Amino acid sequence: MTIDSAGPGAPSGLDDLGEPDRPATAASPGTRDERSARDTGPLRDRDSAPDGSSSVRGPAGHRGAVDPVKALMHRHRELCERAVDPLEIAAGLEAHGVTDRTAARLRHRDVFSLAEEMYARAARDGDSAPRTETPGHPGTRAYWAALALVPGALGTAVVVGLRLTDGNQRLAVAAFGALAMASGLHVALRRGPLSTPHRTANAARAWTCWLVTYALVGDGLLSAGQDGGPDGPWPLATASVPALSLACAPAAWCAHLFAVRARRRLSASRGLEEFAASVRPLLLGAFTLFLCALGGLLALSGTVLNESPAYAGAGALGALLLLARLLTTRGFTRAPGRALAGAGATEATALATVFAARLPGCSFLATPVDSLIGAAGPGAVPALACGAGALVLLVQATRTLTRASAHAPPCEAP
Amino acid sequence: MLVRIGLLTEGGYPYVSGDAGLWCDRLVRGLGRHEFDIYALSRTERQEDQGWIQLPPQVKRVRTAPLWTAHSDGVVYGRRARRRFAEAYGELAAAVCAGPEAAGTEASGNPADSVAAQADRFASALYGLAELARDEGGLIGALRSESAVRALERACRVPGALRTARTARVPDLLSVAAHIERTLRPLSLDWYEDDALGSADLCHAAAGGAAALPGLLARHFLGVPLLVTEYGVQLRAHYLAAATLEEAPAVRALLAAFHGRLATEVYRAAAIVTPGNAHARRWQERCGADRAKLRTVHPGMEAARFADVGEAVRGSRCADPDTLVWVGRIEPAKDLISLLHAFAEIRRAEPKTRLRIIGAPAEGPDGATYLAHCKALAAQLFPDEAEGVHAVGDNPVSFEEIGGPEIPSLAEAYACGALIVLSSVVEGFPVSLVEAMLCGRATVSTDVGAVVEVIGGTGLVVPPRNPRALAEACVALLRDPERRERLGAAARARALELFTVEQNITAFHGIYLEIVSHSPVRRVIVDEEGEPLPFGVPAEAHVPGRWTEPRLMTAGRPRWAEGAPVRATAPLTAPVPAPGPVSVSVGEGA
Repeated sequence: MTIDSAGPGAPSGLDDLGEPDRPATAASPGTRDERSARDTGPLRDRDSAPDGSSSVRGPAGHRGAVDPVKALMHRHRELCERAVDPLEIAAGLEAHGVTDRTAARLRHRDVFSLAEEMYARAARDGDSAPRTETPGHPGTRAYWAALALVPGALGTAVVVGLRLTDGNQRLAVAAFGALAMASGLHVALRRGPLSTPHRTANAARAWTCWLVTYALVGDGLLSAGQDGGPDGPWPLATASVPALSLACAPAAWCAHLFAVRARRRLSASRGLEEFAASVRPLLLGAFTLFLCALGGLLALSGTVLNESPAYAGAGALGALLLLARLLTTRGFTRAPGRALAGAGATEATALATVFAARLPGCSFLATPVDSLIGAAGPGAVPALACGAGALVLLVQATRTLTRASAHAPPCEAP
Repeated sequence: MLVRIGLLTEGGYPYVSGDAGLWCDRLVRGLGRHEFDIYALSRTERQEDQGWIQLPPQVKRVRTAPLWTAHSDGVVYGRRARRRFAEAYGELAAAVCAGPEAAGTEASGNPADSVAAQADRFASALYGLAELARDEGGLIGALRSESAVRALERACRVPGALRTARTARVPDLLSVAAHIERTLRPLSLDWYEDDALGSADLCHAAAGGAAALPGLLARHFLGVPLLVTEYGVQLRAHYLAAATLEEAPAVRALLAAFHGRLATEVYRAAAIVTPGNAHARRWQERCGADRAKLRTVHPGMEAARFADVGEAVRGSRCADPDTLVWVGRIEPAKDLISLLHAFAEIRRAEPKTRLRIIGAPAEGPDGATYLAHCKALAAQLFPDEAEGVHAVGDNPVSFEEIGGPEIPSLAEAYACGALIVLSSVVEGFPVSLVEAMLCGRATVSTDVGAVVEVIGGTGLVVPPRNPRALAEACVALLRDPERRERLGAAARARALELFTVEQNITAFHGIYLEIVSHSPVRRVIVDEEGEPLPFGVPAEAHVPGRWTEPRLMTAGRPRWAEGAPVRATAPLTAPVPAPGPVSVSVGEGA
């Protein structure tokens, strides 16, 4: 387009213009201007071309009625409207070939003072253009959403395997299943809304493994230990494992929902307080949604496996894990680490006290756990430990995840 | 005298793919008597992977740090550090967001005073953040934290803030905070110790902006003087880069203000600023650089390549007196269209002339399209011509590339024409014009960029986008071989004086010595226990030049000071003169 305008038809035009800064050449100022003149022309054509001639070509000086600076401003209209200070106009003008000699012809000392006049005279509308949302890639979305189902499938398969086998075979299935589930979880968490660029501490991983293991074996072992056992294999709480592993999918979906909605609120809000106020219900809503989904899954797996699921213990554990992951993905690694460690340590202590109470003279150690179990059954221990941790994290999350800086786009190289 | 120079670069030397790599390399190689420590900030991961160029032995140490990535070191501030950070960052944000109205209504009332007050405020906030990073670490996390965003929000909402800043939304604040964090990454480096930048006699920043930040801090913490060289003004580059970004006006306004204040502080703290041309100099003056500190040092070009062509004897000098040559990269900014139209007019006056356009198209589709269009236009304007009815014809305009059989090298390209033409509409420092001058060729160029400054009366200059003026100037020179000779010789003499590598290196050598003599780094010498050693630095160390060298002693000492000092009057008692006072009197006498 640039080329055509300065092409074969141009010599006659050049002859009668004779001015050094004709717009339609080179470095594309002309290209943009001409196109935008056609698009948004009527807005400013009126005041810059009173003689009715083509305003884009309106040169300085030849047609005395036109203010030369106004003609120049019209030519660099987009630059003037976009500019945030006079130096930006100066830089843009220089990039388009305007020199101090040009400025001198317009009765200015240098380009800077010309730019100042243009900046002062340019009409800028205060409204900023609405940000364009960057759409996510649908392909990757389907990918992570499907991957989030992997741990659930593996967990179900392992529990079915445990039910069908016995003895040594059962042990092998359990060991293999644990490995498979760990790697499945790793794969599922590498993509999507629950993935994190921050390094997860190894301690946090270890505590997570321990918490999940306790959910499987802990309650049975605790009651067996209280009764003086365990004599042989104790009953496993198999219903919570498939439910928790299947809950990875709703966790990822809820996290995605929260992230997307929060980003939308972010681009709409004008102040930090306003943003925090609008995100808090969002966070609580997503969290409640996840809890409902987890409860449904627990009930389902309990029905299918014909077992009464530990709603309180498994639910609290799921809530704790989700909140810990949400905080970790946004760079807050300290509180989740402590909460996981606290819950894990509480459960381990409960088990240890029950067995330590068998030592001579130490029977008092088991008193708190005994009274707790007596009041609410063995499921009360994980429910209390994880529930307390989850509550702490929930308070932390309502404080930190409602900050705008937690939802800043990831920092990439400029 | 040996000077230890800390050379600060960003995204350039010593990496293979760098901006100002060639210049820095020539400087370091040219000043073999001095020692260089290179402190390089890399711009991308790819650049870091590509490795370094080969470094000469005078480079004693290279330290690099990435600007493209930063890992928070996990330090979480306690209450006092948090308050320190909030105060410093709040001041920084306030200085950045303060608009011209705020400056005008300050207590002093004088706008110049309040501008200086804002600059002071910015500087103290910047150094406050740097001190915090040095004492506590963890600055990267803090700069991205909520308290930073909150400080920005508060600064944007105060009355008297920049008008555009008041429209900032939350995402705008976030992206401003992220950008400031990226720019201030050098604050968290561990270069500001006695064994790193502290051991340098001066810091030489090869560019403004991020490259000069370590220099600023070295000056603040360790008192090392700073020299800033800018061939392209960083602030202007920022404006041009920001014009292509799809950011909200508030973001652009705040970032522009931030970079402007940073540039002002760099110019204020620098002992000497060396712009590469008058254009850069004007920008620096505009950003508050003191004129007394500015020394224009033109970029150096390698003159030896063009010596054969430039020094050729008169007769063989112009191979073809009817040939015009244009050399450069073919892109729209060079306005070859205008040149072709001008050539059409030249042919009307001088039908025998030919035009050789020598150069490759610029990278990307634009360059190739433009070249094709120029070729089409040339074919349209000038039909092929032959000497007689039996000869094969040829177009008077030819498009050639360097490296072919006819033009093996760049010097040959200039040698094959009587007149070199430059028709650009946009130009920074016109390299091809300097090369033509070094070849001793007469030139006709358009008045863009630094052309007038470079040519300085040794060639003809016409307004850009004016083919008729270009044609008239070319015809005038084509018809006057004597004038061509004269102009060519003058151009070569001028280029040899101003634009050679040697003058560039000599200028920097002189500036180094000047800085070191004017603001020597005062270091406290400590013994093994860390106690300051009294008289560890002799008095001579504070005098410029190496005074202990015997050659200098005899040359620099006036005749009356030769030999042992003699007393004017005989003392009553005859004490033995102690050796100590002798050396002192020598130092003072000279």
